[in-house]
Amino acid sequence: MEARSPSRWGAQEWAAVAMFLAVLAVPWATDDLLVQSIVNRVLIGAMAALSVFIMLRMDLLSFATPAFMALGGYAAVLLTMHGVTEVLLIVPASFLVPALVALPLGALVLRLRGVYFVLVTFVLTEILQLVLFMTPRLTGGADGLAGFPAPTLLGTELSDARSVLALAAAMALLAAVITAALTAHFRQHFAAIEENEVLAESLGLVVWRYKAMGFVVAAGIAGMAGFSLGNMLLTVHPTSFGAQQAVDTIVYAIIGGRGSILGPIAGASLLVTVSDFLGNQGQYAQGLFGLLLILVTLVARGGIAGAVAALARRLRAPRAAAGPAAAAPEAARGGA
Amino acid sequence: MEPAAGAVAGVEELRVENLAKRFGGLRVLEGISFALAPGDLLGVIGPNGAGKTTLINVITGRTPPSGGRILLGGQDITGRPTHAVSRLGVVRSFQQTNTFKAASVRENVSRALRFSGGAGPQGWARVAPLLDAFGLAPRLGEQSDKLPYGLQKMLGLTLAYAANPKVLLLDEPAAGLERSERTRVDEFVRHVRACGCSVLIVEHDMDLVRRLCPRIIVLDAGVVLAEGPPAEVLARQDVIAAYVGADAAGDEAA
Repeated sequence: MEARSPSRWGAQEWAAVAMFLAVLAVPWATDDLLVQSIVNRVLIGAMAALSVFIMLRMDLLSFATPAFMALGGYAAVLLTMHGVTEVLLIVPASFLVPALVALPLGALVLRLRGVYFVLVTFVLTEILQLVLFMTPRLTGGADGLAGFPAPTLLGTELSDARSVLALAAAMALLAAVITAALTAHFRQHFAAIEENEVLAESLGLVVWRYKAMGFVVAAGIAGMAGFSLGNMLLTVHPTSFGAQQAVDTIVYAIIGGRGSILGPIAGASLLVTVSDFLGNQGQYAQGLFGLLLILVTLVARGGIAGAVAALARRLRAPRAAAGPAAAAPEAARGGA
Repeated sequence: MEPAAGAVAGVEELRVENLAKRFGGLRVLEGISFALAPGDLLGVIGPNGAGKTTLINVITGRTPPSGGRILLGGQDITGRPTHAVSRLGVVRSFQQTNTFKAASVRENVSRALRFSGGAGPQGWARVAPLLDAFGLAPRLGEQSDKLPYGLQKMLGLTLAYAANPKVLLLDEPAAGLERSERTRVDEFVRHVRACGCSVLIVEHDMDLVRRLCPRIIVLDAGVVLAEGPPAEVLARQDVIAAYVGADAAGDEAA
């Protein structure tokens, strides 16, 4: 009679990790700089979108991702400028610094729900950007930080394009493993908070504890994305961490599908690539994102991942009378 | 106010003393006192806006009281957060159907057991008779919001009981149910009382109140207007004036 073990990984978690494992080979599979650059940006976008995804699992739409990306990015770069270039130290630092900031911050903002949470996280991103502009001695202010030493792995410098991409892929793999572990282990808890927080609490669930845990991990993953971005651009700059980036990462997660870990990955892969092909006409990318967002909201609430899962279910059981009709609503939530 | 009859001093489960709740200048509850012994059943009736749901909200820690104390087995639980009150054994049900909508019946029960710290075969064994009685047992795989309304409502009650309560606070368990379905509420209440659980039931269905409750309190504008056995209390002119007349008409129309 009992439901299956709550912490077991599903096919989606394994698929997500397998995809990032495969991407680890890309730096050696191609020398095409354009491909490497797109893959690198997809990885950064996917990491940021995973951070958004974790919060969406609890029905919290966070605009604070760029703020945590900035904290991780600046922390890592400042470390390299102070002589600590070992990635085995600066990658954990890029996770831990935003995670530690998120802990007290969470106590304040996680009381809020719905549009109030959205607004406050939006303001956090704005405030942090302002702080970056206003503290030139520490963060370079409007100039940002550039010309910092390349990170090293056990003494080997990771400065060529291939190493930069390999490092991004390794961090994205780590982010996927952490996200999969967290969201699979607390699947029922997060789903209960998403579906009916009041009921969950009245049955004894310590809701704030799970929200805080999610917020802290999401901040850490965003921080790794921030370091990855700085490492690719060879600079960290306040304009990389604004509200526009928050909108982009949210769009990746929602168009990709908020119900499955594959959603944010699919969303980032598709949208980063498409906006790259639109090249100089960046404004068209924003327009396209908007159109896609309307489309997803109207016809495919589960996003790309949800639509694919629904299709797969339909193909698997074409003759079951109630099959497609019964599968559709479940799939609309990403078939979680 | 004296503790209500039925609660023998020393063995009472829940004791509410002089409870008050004010929202700004608005007095929602004032001087509410009662006690429940293990297995006891108290009905709370009153017109809409009398403070019945607020009483449940205050006892379960959803909103802090403005005054008074709440004791569970002698322990002061006033102002504790909802999850802590729930873990200590005071669990509520909700007026609207309240389940985890996207989850199956099985997942709903499993979550209730897990969140209350009672996951495992014993927990399932405890709720199995209720799942059988309500016809939920054959529908464990169904998504809860696809169930007929009456079954969703019974699932909501089952979830509250799954959380292993010592005291259950039921907020209009029969609201929205067909008349034929309302006997399930009787079954539920009888079952949980037989298991030693105290029940406080807020209800508008007077037939159900008369049937089930050996004693009731009538709330009006946040104060206790009357208290005692339903036959006696419901015959009082002030109670009829405040509540029963208006609702009896509404009940017929429903």
